[in-house]
Amino acid sequence: MDCLRTEQKLSEYLESGLPAEDMHQVAEHLEGCKQCSALFHEMQSAVNLCHNYPTLEMDPDFLEKILLRTSGRPRTRSFRERFNQYFLRPLLTPRFAAAAVLATLFIALMVNFMAPRLSIALSDLSPSGLFQLLDMGVQQIYGEGLKAYEKVDSWQAKFNDIKNSAPNKLRYMIEQIEAPVEGRKKSQEQIQEKEKSPKEKSSRLLSWPA
Amino acid sequence: MLSGDLKLVERCLQGDDAAWEMLVSSYGKRIYNLSYRYTNRKDDAEDLTQEILIRVYQNLKSYRSEAGSFQNWILRVARNLVIDHYRQMRRNPQTGGSEELETMNIKDVKIPTPQRAAEQSEAARFLQNGLQALSPELKEAIILRDLEGMAYNEMSELLNVPEGTVKSRINRGRLELAKLLTKRRAQLGVPV
Repeated sequence: MDCLRTEQKLSEYLESGLPAEDMHQVAEHLEGCKQCSALFHEMQSAVNLCHNYPTLEMDPDFLEKILLRTSGRPRTRSFRERFNQYFLRPLLTPRFAAAAVLATLFIALMVNFMAPRLSIALSDLSPSGLFQLLDMGVQQIYGEGLKAYEKVDSWQAKFNDIKNSAPNKLRYMIEQIEAPVEGRKKSQEQIQEKEKSPKEKSSRLLSWPA
Repeated sequence: MLSGDLKLVERCLQGDDAAWEMLVSSYGKRIYNLSYRYTNRKDDAEDLTQEILIRVYQNLKSYRSEAGSFQNWILRVARNLVIDHYRQMRRNPQTGGSEELETMNIKDVKIPTPQRAAEQSEAARFLQNGLQALSPELKEAIILRDLEGMAYNEMSELLNVPEGTVKSRINRGRLELAKLLTKRRAQLGVPV
């Protein structure tokens, strides 16, 4: 077999697609001919390069663009893709992480300042220990409630005093304005005398205004 | 696969958008890679892919299963548009060179390690230059056979030529490519 005929069969020889006799003849020629042998090796290398050529992936956005231009419908997204897009990706940003850390610190500080301090030992975490803690907590809350009620009571009493004494004081002021000077002196003396006797004072305080 | 494609096409014709999405997902990547191998530019490949799939969508009614497989039909549409694009490029050649693989979006390419990526990129560029120097007929034969992995009978049906002609073109294409690469290696001093 000559070089020209060998060249014509090289491609099929490479793919082992020739009949057995032709395969043998080509192999014999390649053994004896350096030029054809070099050409065969180069062809092998070129085909290998083609087989190892990188495959490109289609961008999902490009795929969506095609779907929108043809059917007018966007790409179907799997649950995992939607989860990543709407939940995970917004969370995994430096800005969100910094905000989360600050918020956690703030809440921890607020709880630390405002919440009542509890000293809990590990031994208190038994059921009876937990019950005792609960009982202590309830009693504490009840005590605080009673204190608050007493405060309200004293405020109520003060309010009633003011309410009861205000009309008398007002009446006195009006009398002072209306009465002449001499009459004012006499009425002042009369008031002073009356104020000296404690019984009359208390009865005046207890009496309702007319 | 054949019956699966037929069912999808029938559903598409009935207005099922989900079926169309499945077809695009199945063939889109192949068409995209085919377009890239012809054009060597990502933006041109995207435009071409879009054009091809729009044409397929518009002409889906004209597909007949008796004429051949859906795969070949879609590749035929792709090929016609690629040839049109090639003719247009010849009339209005772009001054910019082909796009390097390194400049493409990393998520576009499945590459194991950076070193391997560099080697593959170098090899791919080497091959691209060699393919560009081939005539359109031979380049097409190499792309369909060695890059797309099509069988002889599929190529014969797609190109509408006898199988013998397909084999002859592949042989000549490979020989040409081998000689070109040998010369390039000698010029660059790259070992085999």
